Amino acid sequence: MKTIPQSIRLAGGVLAVSLVLFASGCASNVNSYERAESQATPNVIADKRIITDNTLAGTIRVVSINQGTVSGNLIKIQATVENLRNSQRTVNYKFEWIDQDGMALDSANETWKTLPLQGRETTSISTVAISPRAVDFRLKFRE
Amino acid sequence: MKHTITSRLLGLLAVGAMLTFSGCETATETRTVDAKGPDAINTSAINSQDWASAADGLINSLLSSNALNNAPHTPAILAVDRVINNTQMMVDTDLLIKKIRVALTNTGKIAITNTMGLGERAVVASEAAELDEMQSGKKAKILVPDYTLYAKLIQQTDKNGKMAQNTYSFQMSLVAVKTGLTVWEEEKQIAKQTKGAGAVGW
Repeated sequence: MKTIPQSIRLAGGVLAVSLVLFASGCASNVNSYERAESQATPNVIADKRIITDNTLAGTIRVVSINQGTVSGNLIKIQATVENLRNSQRTVNYKFEWIDQDGMALDSANETWKTLPLQGRETTSISTVAISPRAVDFRLKFRE
Repeated sequence: MKHTITSRLLGLLAVGAMLTFSGCETATETRTVDAKGPDAINTSAINSQDWASAADGLINSLLSSNALNNAPHTPAILAVDRVINNTQMMVDTDLLIKKIRVALTNTGKIAITNTMGLGERAVVASEAAELDEMQSGKKAKILVPDYTLYAKLIQQTDKNGKMAQNTYSFQMSLVAVKTGLTVWEEEKQIAKQTKGAGAVGW
């Protein structure tokens, strides 16, 4: 029976340990736990999607968008987004507001925001229309 | 013949030298970017996108809290109190406060008084009120604010080897004048890590 030299076995062992450490170092996925039957009754709205960057669409997915009203007459929008990749990704997003006449409202809070997401993480992003004239919104993503 | 070869060689060298030197010359290039976007230059300090992001987060929190629903009248009168800068940077706090003022005024729920509070706006407004009193002979009616807004900026610096982290906290409180109670408070933080970082500030 042919025996494997001690040095090769040692090298193999080091390689195996390195691979395990490398793989565990890369893994940054998020595990989530929540109530099995949700008590919340969100007002989920139907959305239209315009995809011009398929790579980005393959990285981040808008799961749902719900709408509420705060401070009496201001629309609040919340989008639930999911990182479809197994590693941390950072995207930028921005909400824009549109009035009854279809005119864009130049809101002070229309800013690109950076959103770091861990692998497979789902989170919520939200904004409030600072003008009661806002009736519609547009949510944009970019890398 | 030998002379021609030398001349050609010299010519080639001259062209090479010209190309080399012109390659070193960097033309100044300026482009306009969205100050509130990711194209803004990112540093370990608070950049334009950070100010916009912090202001946005604070506004969203205030409006989502429905704290202004209990205002005695609409629009409620707001006086901007002190903004304390406890960072190492010399910054104009209007970079934050102006965005908050614009947003709150746009909601129609807040009117900001300039006859109270600190800063150049209060001085100008007070002088204007005095002038009006002198001209009309009537005591100018100054509206008492329903709320005061107080803000504080804090910087915390942590270092680990060559990695430095600057965490900027933007704290804001809305106080009801009649009761002295804080009706809304929020803190937004922006943390920036820099590798091989030098000091930030002055």
